[in-house]
Amino acid sequence: MKTNSLGYKVRQYLLFAGVTTFLFVAVVIVPFFYGLYLTFTRYDGVSTSKPFVGLDNYIAAFGDTDYWVSLGRTFVFSAIAVVLVNLFAFVLAYMVTTGIRGQNFFRAGFFIPNLIGGIVLGYVWKFVFNKALVQLSDMIGSGHAKSLLATPTGAMAALIIVSVWQYAGYMMLIYVAGFMSVSEDVIEAAKIDGCTGTQSIIHISIPLMTASFVQCLFLTITRCFMVYDVNFSLTGGDPYGDSVLAAMHVYNTAFQDKKFGLGQAEALILFVVCAIVGGLQVYVGKKAEVQA
Amino acid sequence: MNSKTEIQTQFEEMAKAYTEKTGVEVEVYNADTDTTVASQVATRYASNDPYTITMVDAKDIYALADEYAYDLSNEDWASHTKLGITVNGKLAGFPFCVEARGLIYNAEAIEKITGEEFKPENYATLDAFKGLLDQLKAGGMEQPTAILSEYWSLGAHYFAEVYEQQKDPDAFVNGLLGGTEDLDNNAKFNELMDTFDVLKEYNYMKGSAANADREESSMKLAAGDVAFMFGGNWDWSVIKEYDHSDKMGIMPVPENTSDSTNTTLVGGGTKYLFVDASDNTSDEQRKAALDFLNWLVSDADGNAFLTESCALVPAFDQVTADALDPLSTSVKEYADAGLIATYDFLPDDHMTVVGQEIMQKYLDDAMSRAEMAAAVEEYFKSATPIKH
Repeated sequence: MKTNSLGYKVRQYLLFAGVTTFLFVAVVIVPFFYGLYLTFTRYDGVSTSKPFVGLDNYIAAFGDTDYWVSLGRTFVFSAIAVVLVNLFAFVLAYMVTTGIRGQNFFRAGFFIPNLIGGIVLGYVWKFVFNKALVQLSDMIGSGHAKSLLATPTGAMAALIIVSVWQYAGYMMLIYVAGFMSVSEDVIEAAKIDGCTGTQSIIHISIPLMTASFVQCLFLTITRCFMVYDVNFSLTGGDPYGDSVLAAMHVYNTAFQDKKFGLGQAEALILFVVCAIVGGLQVYVGKKAEVQA
Repeated sequence: MNSKTEIQTQFEEMAKAYTEKTGVEVEVYNADTDTTVASQVATRYASNDPYTITMVDAKDIYALADEYAYDLSNEDWASHTKLGITVNGKLAGFPFCVEARGLIYNAEAIEKITGEEFKPENYATLDAFKGLLDQLKAGGMEQPTAILSEYWSLGAHYFAEVYEQQKDPDAFVNGLLGGTEDLDNNAKFNELMDTFDVLKEYNYMKGSAANADREESSMKLAAGDVAFMFGGNWDWSVIKEYDHSDKMGIMPVPENTSDSTNTTLVGGGTKYLFVDASDNTSDEQRKAALDFLNWLVSDADGNAFLTESCALVPAFDQVTADALDPLSTSVKEYADAGLIATYDFLPDDHMTVVGQEIMQKYLDDAMSRAEMAAAVEEYFKSATPIKH
């Protein structure tokens, strides 16, 4: 059989990747282009007609100050959350690879928040912030304490705290894998050369773990930019709509205000922004990778 | 699909019993709590798999009727209600229940302090109402009122009365949309906000009003720790879960006003059912759907489902409703005398903008009344009006 004919190659491809290609096209490519098409229409979500409006939605999106405010908020939220998540994850990963007693138990424990869905996590923490912490500070201090969720900055801080709690365990696992991939030989060689523990982390482990950093940063950046579930259940945009992040604004525009075209256009802008930031970070990170 | 999530369990139990009795398979879908009803309906229509009967809000009926709703005007029950929604000559919406809002009171808690029978009509003016609050305060109830901080309550329920109590709500809202209304000098706006200020002053969550939790507020009202909470008869489903007094009811929001709006509840048919008219629903399914609607209105079991297990006020004059809960009994009394109609054509984002971005600030004393009036006027200038 000729193995370099086009027909053969196509058959081979379909045999091995046909199903996945079909699924990928069906659930990613087609919806993406359909969404793109929606941005050029005025559509309320249920009507059978979708009048074509050209670039009106993009013009409206650029004029929607609430959207840009929420996007700015998302930037601030992401910047702080990404740093904290990775910091905590790295420290946790270091602690659970040093061979302390019960380290497998700790690994599992820190990972568990990630298994609880964002919606549930939000409601649980809402209770913690609104009830448990308020009661606690009432007992300690005098006067009625205000919940963190009652002020705009407090609500944003709460979102960051919960995100860190949610993602640190997951990122920890990736860093754990990173620590394990650093061969004992190099560490031992460094020790013999007189390296202290801290020095060997900074100069040996971290450079060799660049791949883990790139991966973790990419995951946290994209997740923080797209966060919706925790935002919805923890603050719901309260107070005063000052904790509405970009994804939530997009959702509200499309589904609550029934402006699907505008919502899609704003979602696309969010996607582009997120892709640029994520892509840039991966590009810079990859350049910094070193081989042992 | 059921979009009244508080009666989810009752709906499912009823479906089981209904199937046993009639042999008609009923599948109850519930509105997701993490998405809007409109988006859920949109998804089903987009995938050509609509619900046979869908429960939506009045506003949605106007949006959906032309394309998707089946004409119900030939049904027997049609002549027994004034609350059905007709769009372009087609009776599209079956009124599932009557709901009204006002100030919920716990008469037992009030009487315990005042020592005399509580008659809500004696406190129709704000002055009289404030006198009572002071009396309660002196009697040991430190903070006798509760205000829900949820934006739907503030925006779609309380602030909405500013429009609904106008002589011509439609003209007033159009005036706002056109930028010609002066809200700050509007009598109804100021009368209602004067009352809101008093509710705020005596709020048990004063100082951290935004933390008020619906469950906790309802529990306090049920137990008589607070005497008044702004809400509607739907709140009974929450109140009844707690140790509660049965001497409760709903009264109109007190106002120092010269019109009669402080003697009438605001309400009407809420939650409408429509039957899908598209080809995705078979004639057989449609027939079953119509039978089901008839069953709700004219069958004793159907009546019992509405008025007893769901504790809803029926929108039909021939439905017996003796077993209603205290709040619904109040509503039925006021409804029989006539209600101030709800205004169903507020822009879609009114609830989040006015309720969340504006009223929550006002509730938290983070915004003055003049600022609030200006913010609402500003909002309306760029709002998308609802076609009707």
